[in-house]
Amino acid sequence: MKFSSIKTMPKNVVRDTLKSIERNNLMSAASILSVIAALIILGIFLILTINVSELTKDVESRLELKVFLQSDFTDAQKLTVQQALEDSDMIESVTFESSQEALDKFSASLDQYSSLLSGYNSQNNPMPASFIIRVKDPNDLEAVQTLAMTFKDKGVEYVKYGEEYVQVLVNFSNFTNTLSLVVLVVLSIISIFIIYNTIKLTVFARRREIGIMKYVGATNNYIRSPFILEGTLLGLIGAIVAFLVIRIAYYYVLGLLSGSSFLPVGTTLASPDLVMGKLIYFFLIYGGLIGAIGSIFAIRKFLDV
Amino acid sequence: MIEFKNVTKSYEKNKSDALKNVSLFIDKGEFVFLVGRSGAGKSTFIKLLLREIEPTQGSIFINNYNIANLSKREIPFLRRKMGVVFQDFRLLENKSVFENVAYAMEIIGKSEKQIRKRVPLALDMVGLSHRINHYPHELSGGEQQRVVIARAIINNPTILICDEPTGNLDPETSYEIISILEEINRRGTTIVVVTHDREIVDVMKKRVLTLEDGALTVDDAIGRYGYEV
Repeated sequence: MKFSSIKTMPKNVVRDTLKSIERNNLMSAASILSVIAALIILGIFLILTINVSELTKDVESRLELKVFLQSDFTDAQKLTVQQALEDSDMIESVTFESSQEALDKFSASLDQYSSLLSGYNSQNNPMPASFIIRVKDPNDLEAVQTLAMTFKDKGVEYVKYGEEYVQVLVNFSNFTNTLSLVVLVVLSIISIFIIYNTIKLTVFARRREIGIMKYVGATNNYIRSPFILEGTLLGLIGAIVAFLVIRIAYYYVLGLLSGSSFLPVGTTLASPDLVMGKLIYFFLIYGGLIGAIGSIFAIRKFLDV
Repeated sequence: MIEFKNVTKSYEKNKSDALKNVSLFIDKGEFVFLVGRSGAGKSTFIKLLLREIEPTQGSIFINNYNIANLSKREIPFLRRKMGVVFQDFRLLENKSVFENVAYAMEIIGKSEKQIRKRVPLALDMVGLSHRINHYPHELSGGEQQRVVIARAIINNPTILICDEPTGNLDPETSYEIISILEEINRRGTTIVVVTHDREIVDVMKKRVLTLEDGALTVDDAIGRYGYEV
């Protein structure tokens, strides 16, 4: 019996839902608009977050920490330090660079001026040997530095890592993440509340019908479903419109920026495919959920007959 | 089959009980009137039957099933065994007679084929076949009540509960409605009619239960209206 009621449900439910959206057209429009507004604001923050995090990732991936060894390190010391570094789970990779390799690299980087270094050979090489370390999470840079520094004077001379601006970037990235989360929560509450009110009107308009449904033995899920569908639909419509607006705006901004010198050299906005791909799923899920949650709250009170 | 065992219902602690230690048994296929003044506990009785409210004390059995133990999920399935007829009809104005009756079948998931077959039969039974495509506002009170009865019996309930079914109708129409109920009863459905309608109760010579201030004072097998107005 339960199964058959689920099977025949969609037709009645869809019919009633569409009627209801039409009947409450003003409130429905208000709900959709509020979802659109919320999602556009959210979208802007999300795009900011995605861009900052892409930029940070990009910089991070080039980020390395150098542990310079003392000129008179012993093989045993080298092994101990290497072992300690490789054992740490903060570290992505450890590469050893001997002083000869360092000199060769430096020499190569000098290009036509490499003859400047021609006086140096393996006997009087001034370049220290080092471990080049990539960390998994740039937040751990300092911790890894501390770890390496525990071997100070036990083979390690000093540790050097990326410029300060990296730290600034990481901080900024964390900040935009947090900010987006706050915006997400606040706007969600507002949207849920507006949808809640819209659906409450629908529920109120159909309270007689709900009463009759209860007396003839409709299950709560049966009674609830058209309202939840209505809320979800409002949310989804809002999500789709907001997505289109954001998409058009993003391409527009991208067009303005390309060819201008606004962005730092070597960086670009995250590719639209990446951003839009992430955004559409998020918008649809978000819009649908907001609508469903708002309606569940709206109908709850009326179900207790 | 309906059985009340020492049922007491109080809504608020310091107010007097709406029902006081009521015990009664209504057998399958019976036709019973429930009478009493306003506030005597008739509405409470109906609400308890429909499991809108739970008794404060005592237990209620419907078809040998203690409905106090029902979970919220099971309540709809209890109500599918009971038809309800209201004094104020409670028809959906924007649906035709056919749709109003069909609605009760849609809700519990009957197929379109079953609906098309059963609804005309039920409307025929209450004598409304000629009004099948009309809307409630085009019908007289008596006709509307017939639609309600058709809706209440469309899913073959074992019990039909009628809350003042003739309360808004003139005497002649009232008799027509009651005789429809009698016909339904003849086919095996248990019927409980809550009413103020003294004349009908006296004429029908059915079992009469009388509530006074929440207590069951008279249970008369071939009854007359149990209290003086």
